[in-house]
Amino acid sequence: MKVDFSQPQRQSSIGVLIMFFDTIQEYGRALWPLIVIGIFKFDDANRLYIFLSIPIIFITIGIIAYLKYRNFTFFIDNENSEFVVTEGVFNKTRTTIQLHKIQQVNIKQSLLQRIIGVHALDVDTAGTNDKEVSIKAVSHELALNLKSVLLDNIRKVSENETVASESFDVQNAISEQPFISISFLSLLKVGITSNYIRSLGLLLAFFVTTYDYIIRFSNHGIINEDQFINYFDKGFVMRFVGILIVLLLAAILIINIFRTIVKFFNYQITKQSGSLLLSFGLFATKSTIIKPEKVQIISVTQNYFQKKFDILELKIKQATSGEKEARKQAIEIPGCNKNEHIAILKLLFGEMPGKGFMLKPNFRKLGFAVFLTIVLPLVLFYLVALNGAPNLLEYHYGVAVYVVFMGIIQYFSFRNNRLFINDRFIIKQSGAWDISNEIIEPHRIQAITTSQLFWHKSLNIGSITLHTAGGNVGFQLGNFEKIRNYANLWLYEMETSDSNWM
Amino acid sequence: MENFTNETIDTTQLPRFEEVPFTPLHPNYWKLTLIHLFVLFLILATALGFGLVFNDELILYQWNLIVAAAVLMLLVLIFSRIAFRKKGFAFRNHDVLFRSGIIATNTIVIPYNRVQHVALHEGFISRYLGLAKIEIFTAGGSSSDIEIPGIEKIQAKNIKQLLMGKIQKQL
Repeated sequence: MKVDFSQPQRQSSIGVLIMFFDTIQEYGRALWPLIVIGIFKFDDANRLYIFLSIPIIFITIGIIAYLKYRNFTFFIDNENSEFVVTEGVFNKTRTTIQLHKIQQVNIKQSLLQRIIGVHALDVDTAGTNDKEVSIKAVSHELALNLKSVLLDNIRKVSENETVASESFDVQNAISEQPFISISFLSLLKVGITSNYIRSLGLLLAFFVTTYDYIIRFSNHGIINEDQFINYFDKGFVMRFVGILIVLLLAAILIINIFRTIVKFFNYQITKQSGSLLLSFGLFATKSTIIKPEKVQIISVTQNYFQKKFDILELKIKQATSGEKEARKQAIEIPGCNKNEHIAILKLLFGEMPGKGFMLKPNFRKLGFAVFLTIVLPLVLFYLVALNGAPNLLEYHYGVAVYVVFMGIIQYFSFRNNRLFINDRFIIKQSGAWDISNEIIEPHRIQAITTSQLFWHKSLNIGSITLHTAGGNVGFQLGNFEKIRNYANLWLYEMETSDSNWM
Repeated sequence: MENFTNETIDTTQLPRFEEVPFTPLHPNYWKLTLIHLFVLFLILATALGFGLVFNDELILYQWNLIVAAAVLMLLVLIFSRIAFRKKGFAFRNHDVLFRSGIIATNTIVIPYNRVQHVALHEGFISRYLGLAKIEIFTAGGSSSDIEIPGIEKIQAKNIKQLLMGKIQKQL
């Protein structure tokens, strides 16, 4: 089925409901102080007013929502190859996006949209960090149609030779068997084996706020603070700490599993005329498209447990305008196995990236890391402890644990820090526990920075940073002669070839 | 296509970016830096002066404070001079280079076919000194942009023309 998008279109009529809830949310956010006051001042005198005003408010919102729905139209201007959206009740806005500027078209579904049975469609361009256009309620079919038309047009405009000939129809793409689908079991494995640090941070934040809350509570005279602290301090501290650690580990695992499943449930990857279409999520289904020509950096991450389970995580960074966005825009593919990861890389790069010449960092890198993460904090700690906070000295064992833990981490991250270079790929390996390989192609590089400290000149060591449109890749304190040779080679390749970086 | 060849590159024969002679910044830029520093020092000295006049406790450390401020200013001056001396730029046939850094020497290279746009910037004081700043932007985010300060205005305009020409040719 082909829908004609050249005429202005409205959203699905049921979309009025979405508009209604959106408007409530919007006004609720703006007016919540008034609402709170209304609730607290709820006495007989103004009860009548409030009961009278509630229906009026709802009717007003309903009318506004309906007008919003009526005035929201979108169409594709084929003559100027633009996507045009008009919206607004009193202030009318007309947004035009040139089709070839469109970077991504995402189809999403929130819980509410899922209940009503409509989909949202977001259009992203490279220009700003906000979504340029968001259509809130269209049917799935229409969304897919619009998406394919929008993306099809980009292809026609940007490269009119090869890809356009592989025309495809949407129906085909929908019914197509997913190329890779990540099973529930894989997600469980991912949940068990990743993001310990992040979840620990979340938990700590939670405990700190609860503790803070309890202390504040006790200031109101409900609990005696000393009593409360003594309760923890005395007697069964050791046993308690043991139990606490076990509980903490269990909590981390559960949070991890829960988060992974909510975020990535039913992860499916479909091939669509050379691009990859991803869709995932439990409550809100997100879908994203990855185009091989937009991919800048792919990082493959795996830790020891994940190796045993045969799963790894892919992060794909596409071209964006800013670095902050680049991090946010990284597309994650969790829990694919070795064969799937090879298949994805082959599709995006045309071949499986091989590791070539290996560059190791100088041992001074380890020294510097140790100085920064162990020596400096220790010096600070003892300075503070000896000059006025002697009770800190009781935590000697904590210091020892920290030194050993940090030492191991720094040693492993030094040992894993490598730069592999071959004709077509540059791979940077890093990480202590989660070992990640960032893969870039030399022709994606935008600029090269080399850097050398003046006392490293005679040692012939230095650093390099490769800037791409999806973020930077850096390697520190390697053989500077080699680094400069490769920089010259990459510059030569960038300058002699017309290959498109995007 | 007829002239297409694909010979092995002798990597040792490639042009080397580290051997490029860099053009130093215009001497007037040092004057500009001095003016900026002078204003900064003036503000600092005024703050210190007010502190000494209105706070009785500070008077006890009067000389320590003055010596510390003087040493600080001297250090800033020396480092600014080193930074000025180390900054340099070069335009090759296919790319632009900029070198900077006091402790570390950073060299950034941007090929012309990766340049997104070029901007020419004139400050209030720098206009009186006949200087301009050239900013070269790529798609790689702020860390991969080049800012070359302290170029003579006419030269800066020429450079901008040159860059625009190079970009146009790439397209």
